[in-house]
Amino acid sequence: MRHFLIPALALLAHQASAFCGFYIAKADATLFNDRSEIILVRDGQRTILTMSNDFKGDVKDFALVVPVPTILQRDDIKVVERRVFDALDAYSAPRLVEYYDENPCQRWKYAEMLDSDANEAPSATSTMKREAKSAKGKGVTIEARYTVGEYDILILSATESMGLKDWLIENGYRIPQTAHEVLDPYIKSNLKFFVVKVNLQQLSASGFNTLRPIQIRFESHKFMLPIRLGMANSNGSQDMIVHAFTRTGRVECVNYRTVKVPTDRNIPLFVKERFGPFYKDLFARAHRREGRNTVFLEYAWNVTPSFNGMKCDPCVGPPPMPREFAQAGADWSQQGAPTFYTRLHVRYARDQFPQDLVFQVTPNTEHFQARYVLTHPAQGELTCSEGQDYLEELYYRRHRELEELNALTGWNVEKHRDYANEVKGRMNPEQLRKMETPLGIPFKGPGGPGAPLMIAIAAGVALLLLNLFSRRQLQVA
Amino acid sequence: MRSLIAFFQRDARHFQIIFLAGFLAYGIAVLQWDAEWQRYLILFGTCLAVQALFISWKKLPWHSIKSAMVTGLGMSLLLKADSMWVLALGAAVAIASKFLIRIDGKHVFNPGNLGIAAAVLLTGQAWVSPGQWGSGAALVFLVGAAGCMVVLRVGRIDTSLAFLGAFAALDFARQVLYLGWEPEVWLHRMSNGSLLLFTFFMITDPMTTPKAQGARIGWSIAIAVLAFVLGWKYWVNATPIWALLIVSSITPVLDRIWKGQSFRWLVPANPTA
Repeated sequence: MRHFLIPALALLAHQASAFCGFYIAKADATLFNDRSEIILVRDGQRTILTMSNDFKGDVKDFALVVPVPTILQRDDIKVVERRVFDALDAYSAPRLVEYYDENPCQRWKYAEMLDSDANEAPSATSTMKREAKSAKGKGVTIEARYTVGEYDILILSATESMGLKDWLIENGYRIPQTAHEVLDPYIKSNLKFFVVKVNLQQLSASGFNTLRPIQIRFESHKFMLPIRLGMANSNGSQDMIVHAFTRTGRVECVNYRTVKVPTDRNIPLFVKERFGPFYKDLFARAHRREGRNTVFLEYAWNVTPSFNGMKCDPCVGPPPMPREFAQAGADWSQQGAPTFYTRLHVRYARDQFPQDLVFQVTPNTEHFQARYVLTHPAQGELTCSEGQDYLEELYYRRHRELEELNALTGWNVEKHRDYANEVKGRMNPEQLRKMETPLGIPFKGPGGPGAPLMIAIAAGVALLLLNLFSRRQLQVA
Repeated sequence: MRSLIAFFQRDARHFQIIFLAGFLAYGIAVLQWDAEWQRYLILFGTCLAVQALFISWKKLPWHSIKSAMVTGLGMSLLLKADSMWVLALGAAVAIASKFLIRIDGKHVFNPGNLGIAAAVLLTGQAWVSPGQWGSGAALVFLVGAAGCMVVLRVGRIDTSLAFLGAFAALDFARQVLYLGWEPEVWLHRMSNGSLLLFTFFMITDPMTTPKAQGARIGWSIAIAVLAFVLGWKYWVNATPIWALLIVSSITPVLDRIWKGQSFRWLVPANPTA
């Protein structure tokens, strides 16, 4: 018999008790090409945005243009270490967990093994004058100029999009020719432009080979991510992982649906070796199924340092330290104040995402994680009748796992039929005869149409009752 | 079959109940909302219970329980909270307000609207997810069509059209004409399911809209203008809900200035009843 409960887990996350699964693999952000990673901290009207880019070209070609609501001061801009992202990514990435069935013929023996498993605790980011001169003629004002770490930063305001575009191109910022169409609405919305190039001297002096993430902070009503600029030169889709931190609860998208990625699914053991591709395909399929215009929730958890409940089940990596949350911008976390972590994954393309992403902070503290479950079969002799019944159940279960795998990823599972059939080899002829159907029972995924059906039936019954009621009323009238 | 048609024709709330329940089922089955039936049960149950309480206290006709069903379903579609007591509070405030906040024999606030505002503002533990519907074309059509059926029967299509027309025009002027976004940005904003649901199923409540048609149209436009300004200037989300709450407080004044006939849900069996 299996010794754990998987379904219903999403519902019971609040009171999750100890589970004996432990982390073995993760699907981290590096799986996705054309990806950017963002840390988005929202505290009242304050936003702290940290941007990490997987820029692969020559660093002298690097350019970043971000619309921002205010003119940033020198103190509002920082360079942070990439390992903050790595720590967050490792902690919140979709995870694979393993469980072990107990041998029904040796129940007593298994209990001891379980204890020892449980004890294995889970373990597991020169041109200044020319610039200014040309700026004036194009309606572009250089509001401020800073060098922060390996970056040269300008804060620009503009009155005219063509002028801004021309200025950026003339000064070596590689932005697409069509960018003015997008720049125009930003200028009219009174946004400023945070413009970044690499300072090669500083870079070589810093001793870093790669570009570190840049962090900016500002106060504004606006809680959004301007994704349209990034799509000006791209028809393809891009992935963005958002690690969001608030004091109260989950961050969700206001102008697109925020949907949970499929979770708590039982999948075949052989996926263990291919968990990366598995999650990639799962995500692609979920993205298509939801109409290519949704934001996916991959993780949501109370990460307050003093929070006594379970931090994850299982943990993919060691929990980030309060110091790392502070570096990420959630500076209140170090004082032990409530901190809630939301990981969102959005795959966006121009045609499906006409609007920039707008977010809101909710008081929703429901925990969520993307986890996929492997269950190892019982070991040892299974010749007793309970053991044979177990094998029969195991056979059906493996069929369901294959069907689940197919449903989640679209992988062809025909070639893996042996995965289920090998179980039959361990069954005695009598048990085989007892089996009613030789091939799998239909897959029934969790979260089926149960609730809607109930609502429809309830509405129907209520209307019938009302019919009776209102008739009587009319007669009385 | 004939009796079924007659049944629906007798009371527009029957349509409302069917459509709202349908939307809820669609949300859970297709849009993958959390299928936590306890939440819906609490909202729905509290609405019915509080209504029943007032019915027996004030000796009112029992058919008014249908209004509580509409409110319960409407709130299930909009209000979210982690704790059950927050939902119960919202539902209780919604229904109780109908009986306790009355001027000139008419309740002032849209019950669902006030219930949602109370839960969000008083507890800080409830929220509304304007993004939960997405902007699917089919959905837009369905909500629009279903909504039209109901409001045509109720005779409040003027409210929906005035609100949506004014809001869409203001947003078009801002997003497309002034900022220079492509029209599809505007279309994406206007096809938001939450906005349409609000347009056809919330502000159309005949009991809390001004009685006179002219006043009603002005009132709807006022909601649209306020909702637009709150969203543009202050980046408030779910602005129509807040705008309705604020503008509703002047409904009694409008009713005193512009007189009109009170609304009755039941189409009477005989005209004198």
